[in-house]
Amino acid sequence: MTISSATGIIHIDPDRRPIKTSNTTWRIRLTLVILAFLLIWQAAVAWFKLIPSNFLPAPTEVSVAFGELVVNPNFWSALAFSLGNMAVGLAMAIGVGVFVGIALGLSPALRITVAPFLWLLYSTPKVALAPIFILALGLGSASKIGLVFLLAVFPVLLNTMEGTLTVSPSLVNAARVYGASRFSVGWKIIAPATLPFSLVGIQRAVALGFTGEILGEFLGGAGGIGHMLEYAAYKFLMDEALAIVFVMVIVSNLSLGLISIVRRKLAPWDTDQKGM
Amino acid sequence: MTSFLATGPSLGGSRVGAWLAGLSLRSRILLISAEVVVMLALWQLVVGVFRWINPVFVPAPLSIFSGLGDILSSGAVAANAPASLQAWVVGFGLALVIAIPLGLLLGVSLPVDRIVGPIAWAIYATPSVAYQPLAKAWFGFGIGPVVFLVLVSAVFPIMFNLAAGIRTTNTSIISAAKVYGASKFRLYPAIYLPSTVPFLFAGLRQGVVLATIGMMVAELSGAAVGMGALIIRSTNTYQVGQAFAAIMLVVIFTISMVQVTTLVERWVAPWTRGAGK
Repeated sequence: MTISSATGIIHIDPDRRPIKTSNTTWRIRLTLVILAFLLIWQAAVAWFKLIPSNFLPAPTEVSVAFGELVVNPNFWSALAFSLGNMAVGLAMAIGVGVFVGIALGLSPALRITVAPFLWLLYSTPKVALAPIFILALGLGSASKIGLVFLLAVFPVLLNTMEGTLTVSPSLVNAARVYGASRFSVGWKIIAPATLPFSLVGIQRAVALGFTGEILGEFLGGAGGIGHMLEYAAYKFLMDEALAIVFVMVIVSNLSLGLISIVRRKLAPWDTDQKGM
Repeated sequence: MTSFLATGPSLGGSRVGAWLAGLSLRSRILLISAEVVVMLALWQLVVGVFRWINPVFVPAPLSIFSGLGDILSSGAVAANAPASLQAWVVGFGLALVIAIPLGLLLGVSLPVDRIVGPIAWAIYATPSVAYQPLAKAWFGFGIGPVVFLVLVSAVFPIMFNLAAGIRTTNTSIISAAKVYGASKFRLYPAIYLPSTVPFLFAGLRQGVVLATIGMMVAELSGAAVGMGALIIRSTNTYQVGQAFAAIMLVVIFTISMVQVTTLVERWVAPWTRGAGK
C-alpha cells in the first residue's frame, strides 16, 4: 500500500495475514504429525534399539497392552471404582460449592468474614493432607471420596462466588420493581449469570478431583485404576503402565470436553476459553 | 482478591453486611485476625480439651505447634527441606527454559499453535499425578521423579499463558508501530513483550502453585527424602502434629513463592501494577 502525504510517499507493507487454511486441513496435518511421531518412536525402540524396550516400549507393544486391558474385566471394575469415587466426591463438592458460593456471593457479611480463609485454603497444596485422610478414613472408598471432595470444593465455591458477584444490583432491583419474587430473581437473574463461572470451577474441580482419587489410590491401595497403574509400573510392565496412562489421558480429556459442551449448551453467551 | 471490594447483588439488605462493608481495610484485617484467634481457640477446645474429634486425625493447634518444634529441633526439616527445595527449583527452572520458547512459538506461529497446541492441551488436561508412576519407573527413587513432576506440572500453564498474551496483543498498537516504521525485531521488545508480561506472570503464579502440587504428589508416593516423605513418615508413626507442621511449612513455602513472583513482576514490569491478581 502506498500513501501520499504532505511529507512524501510512504510505502507500507501489507499485513502478512496467515493464509486461511481450513480446520480439516489442520486436523489432517495434526494426525500426520502424530503418526510421524509414533513412527519415529517405533523406529527408535523396535527397529534401531536406541531405547531399551522394557524402559520405553514401542507404540505397537503399548497398543497390544491396551487391547488386553480393554478385554480385562479387572480393568473395568478398577475404572468403575475410581470413577465412582470421583463422581460421589465431585457431586458433593459441586453441591456444597454452589450452595456456599451463592450464599457468599449474596451476603457481604459472610464474604468479608469467611472468603479470605477460603482463598487461603484454595491456594494451599491440599494434596499434602492425603496421608492423613488415608489414616483417618481407611484404605477404602471413604478416604478417596473425602480427598476428591476436599480438592474439588474450593474451585467450585470460589468461582460460583465470583460469578454471583458479577450480577449487577440494578438488574436485581429492576426485576423487583417488576414484582419478581425472590425465587424468580434467583432463578432468572442470578443463576444464568453464575452458571458459566460455576462450570469453569467444575472443570478445575474435575482435574483436581482426579488428582485426589489417583493419589489416594497410590497411597492406600484397595483397587482403582491408579492402584493398577502403580502396580504395573512397580512390576516394570511399562507397556501396561503406558496403556493405563493413555486411558487416564482419554478419561480426563473426555470429562473436560463434556463440561465444555455443557457450558456451550447452557451458556452460549459465554466465550469459550479453555478454563484451567 | 477483588471479592473484598465488589458490591455484588443484594437480596434484602442486612445491617451487619452494611456495617462490615463500611469498614476500612485495616479494621477488616483486625477483624479477620480476631477471627483466626477465636477459631484457633475453638479448635483447641474441641480437639484438645473436649476431645470431640479424635486428635490422632486432626491435632489441636498446640500439638501442631509442638510438632513444629519437634521437627525443627530434631533436624527433620533440615534433612528434608533442602531435597524438596532443590527438586522444586530444578524442575521449575527447566519448566521456564522449555515453556518460554515454546510459548513464544505457540503465540507467534499458526502451524505450531494448530499442531503442538492440541497435543499439549491433551497432556495438560491430564493431571500430572497420572505420570508419576512412569516417572518413578524411569528416574528411580531419587530426586528425578520429583523434578519431572514439578516440570510437567509447571510447564503448561506458563507456556499457554505466554502464548495467550502474545495472541491478545492489541493489533491496533502493532499497526501503529508499523506505521511509525518499527521493524519486526523492534516489534517484539517494544510491543509484544510489555503486553505479554502480565500474562507470563499470571502463568508463573499458576505454575508455582501447580509445581508445588506436583512436588507433593511425587514425594508422597515414594520419595526417600523431601517434605512429602517427612509427612508420610510422621503420619505413619501417628505423629500427626508433626505431619501438620510439615504441611504448614509447605503451605508457607507456596504462598511465599507466589508472593515472590508478584514482587518480581512489580520490579521487572512496573506498568502491570494493579492489573490482574
